[in-house]
Amino acid sequence: MTASPSETAPAPLEELATALAQAVGGSAELAHGTAKIRVNRDAWVEAARTARDDFGLVFFSWLSAVDWSNQVEVGDPLAQPVEERYEVVAALADISSGLIVLLSTDLAKDDPKVQSLVGVYAGANWHEREAHEMFGIEFVGHPQLIKLYLPDGFVGYPLRKSFPLLTREVKPWPGKVDVEGMPGQEDEDEPSTENPEA
Amino acid sequence: MTTRMSADQDLVRHLSEVSVSVELQTPDMTLNIGPQHPSTHGVLRLVATVDGERAFNVQPVIGYMHRGYEKLAEVRNYPQITTLVNRIDWVSGYANEVPFIVAAERLLGVEVPERAQFIRLILTEMARIASHLVFNASYPLELGAATPLFFALRERERVLDLLESVTGGRFHPNFNRIGGVKPAQGAGSATRKVIQDLPKGFLAETRAAMDKVLATVDELEALVAGNEIILARTKGVGLLPPEIAAAYGMSGPNLRASGVGFDLRKVSDYLPYGQFEFRVPTGANGDCWDRWWVRLEETRQSASIIQQAIDAIPAGPLLAKVPKIIKIPKGEIYVRAENPKGEMGYYLVSDGGLGPYRLKIRSASFSNISILPWILEGTLIPDIIAIMGSLDFVLGDVDR
Amino acid sequence: MNFWLELAIKLLVAAGIIPVVGMVIGFAEMKLSAKMQSRMGPYFAGGRWGWAQLIADGVKFFQKEDLIPADADRPVFKWAPALVLASTVAILVPIPLGPQVVGRNLDLGIFYALAVSSLSTIGVLMAGWSSANKYSLIGGLRAAGQLIAYELPLVLAVVGVVILAGTMSLNGIVEAQASWFSERGWQFGLPFVVVQFVGFGIFMIATLAELSRIPFDMPIAESELVMGYLTEYSGFRFLFFFLAEFANMFSLSAIAATLFLGGYWVPGLSETQLNFVGPIVLFAKIGLLVFAMIWFRWTFPRFREDQLQSIAWKWLIPLSLGNILATGLLKVVV
Repeated sequence: MTASPSETAPAPLEELATALAQAVGGSAELAHGTAKIRVNRDAWVEAARTARDDFGLVFFSWLSAVDWSNQVEVGDPLAQPVEERYEVVAALADISSGLIVLLSTDLAKDDPKVQSLVGVYAGANWHEREAHEMFGIEFVGHPQLIKLYLPDGFVGYPLRKSFPLLTREVKPWPGKVDVEGMPGQEDEDEPSTENPEA
Repeated sequence: MTTRMSADQDLVRHLSEVSVSVELQTPDMTLNIGPQHPSTHGVLRLVATVDGERAFNVQPVIGYMHRGYEKLAEVRNYPQITTLVNRIDWVSGYANEVPFIVAAERLLGVEVPERAQFIRLILTEMARIASHLVFNASYPLELGAATPLFFALRERERVLDLLESVTGGRFHPNFNRIGGVKPAQGAGSATRKVIQDLPKGFLAETRAAMDKVLATVDELEALVAGNEIILARTKGVGLLPPEIAAAYGMSGPNLRASGVGFDLRKVSDYLPYGQFEFRVPTGANGDCWDRWWVRLEETRQSASIIQQAIDAIPAGPLLAKVPKIIKIPKGEIYVRAENPKGEMGYYLVSDGGLGPYRLKIRSASFSNISILPWILEGTLIPDIIAIMGSLDFVLGDVDR
Repeated sequence: MNFWLELAIKLLVAAGIIPVVGMVIGFAEMKLSAKMQSRMGPYFAGGRWGWAQLIADGVKFFQKEDLIPADADRPVFKWAPALVLASTVAILVPIPLGPQVVGRNLDLGIFYALAVSSLSTIGVLMAGWSSANKYSLIGGLRAAGQLIAYELPLVLAVVGVVILAGTMSLNGIVEAQASWFSERGWQFGLPFVVVQFVGFGIFMIATLAELSRIPFDMPIAESELVMGYLTEYSGFRFLFFFLAEFANMFSLSAIAATLFLGGYWVPGLSETQLNFVGPIVLFAKIGLLVFAMIWFRWTFPRFREDQLQSIAWKWLIPLSLGNILATGLLKVVV
């Protein structure tokens, strides 16, 4: 029971994932102990409802998004180009067995709209507000889609890859400051878990 | 979504209108609780519409401590993120690092030595004790009893001193490394490379400190649990049914107080909890009293786990062999852990670079306080404080 | 003695006793609470004991800026602390420190003392309303409800004592306790707490509520309302409230000691001796009661407003009425 690598998920999770994927008409991916079910944008709410009612995934863990872009203002760009999209990910869990699945759907960049999950899980409220203000995704049917973290007059969507970080304008990534060793300990063969050279 | 209390309120209003011949028009008052307030655990603002002593439509306003960790993580390499991440829930600093490190290690495919895992477990449980002691002592303070705080904080200092002796930091240990925990090096000499393990006497001292923690927990229980005023203020206040809790994503002791016996330490293998015997305390009603009591019991169980772990800790290296520059191959993983505040998880999307492509931090307190508008509907102002306090959140955890 | 000289001495004592008592009891609170919480308390001011801590605090408060909120009702805001302090001083008038050492031996002693002590309610309400602050308003209204609700048990608890003593004059009550068994020739008297323990309990609880001390400090409720009706007060106005709280503890404990514990009287001393020893005895008894109040403050949490009110109306008032009934019956029968 160590943190050992596992390319395939344990059996109960695999069963749940394949069954759920079949029920909602999506595809299941299992890797590193994480099960992800991709569904179509139009089947988003139905998939969540099925997961809650038929599969007992009553615990709403979180909802967020990933911005897949080939041009990035901060950090490293992707090694291989991908299809540009927003991927909305929701994590739903079972509170008796501890199984958790990630439900995800892809949104086109020019039309980032998806149905809100508030009708299925009440807890989606705040998570969707956060995803909205960070990515600019519109959740249709959300009762109060206003800003959660950011001040009222904030312009822009911070977690989009096109949104720059001011500090990294001044000190680009990865920079010299990120790679200093400890003073007086610049040994070569120490097991390096300190800041590595770029 | 109807409110729980709406039936009672309608009845009360109807009765009051019927019996009084002259209708008293009392306008509602908008009361701002926070962001500077003795009891909001940080900069949380509640905008409540108050009618006399009853509050309706309580809207939390958060974001005063938003530091943009998810964006910052995209321009950090993996060891640097550990320093960021233990500042999320600063009361239990060590526990924040563990799920992130486990996620990175699983994606990398590194096997962590047993000794390192045991040390992680011991330190996580010590962080849990620190967090719960603060809660169990400061909650009576919000109700007005000032004394338990001093007794508990004294013991907590012992635990924090031990944490400091190992990691160098009381609240922000930054002790995890990908592949294990940090081996102390050098010992002040630049020429002799001495890899040090845990400080001498740490294990024995910790074991002794756990006995004192258990004694303090008994003292706290005697001081608080027998007090009728505290029972009157907390029993039946802030009832949380388990279905609502699950729908909102409440986790940790808050969920367990509502009767759901779900503990990630029992079902998940991010740390070797399976080797130890411990109970998962659950509450009966899901009121404020249960939430206080569950955390008290958990402190006891944590102390017992630490003692078992110290007795069983194996010898061995502290850090696996990892390359000098750590680049985690392409992949996605979600790892969650049972933090003192609830479930903390990291969704790590890696593209083979020095740092993650996207790091989503699922923090426990964010979901825990999303329930505030529901649970505070129609409660009295003193009960707002009591209920908010019992949810045990930290603003750094809410706002990231 | 010349009337004017006596008056001057009494005024000086009354004016001086408030700050002195306030500081002594405040210091006792700091040190006692520290001992209960495994701390040291004031340590540096004035040498190892820290006895000068409150003197230093007094000086500090005096030299602070006089802040009045812009929207506050200025005259009301300024006079509120004065009213609270005035009622505290006025209670001290009929309290006997010895058989002849008394401000004024009023025939209606206890009636006057209780009437004047309720003036502080107006002061609190004035403070809460005039501060132009929602938290102060909530605190002030809670205070109004609480203080008025607990006036009744306070007064009713005393009626039992008055029935037993047969007089409302505080000197007379002490005499009655001292000479309870005198027809049998026994030296020691009967402190009324022995037979009136219910009344004593009710009186002490009501006193805690009148002082707005934990467990009844909803009007201040530090963890909810910042400082309740005191939120906007700073500098020497806050000092008045602060001193008034401790001095009020002293005054009301003095009444309780006089009514229930026998006041200045100890058995076995002649009257002239009591004139000198009496104050010390009374202060010792007051000290016991004040210690109990401080102890409760640091042990218990606070009641919620509705629980507070239901204790007053549903428990204390019926109990005190029952106490009066029982006392009257026993007085007639026995």
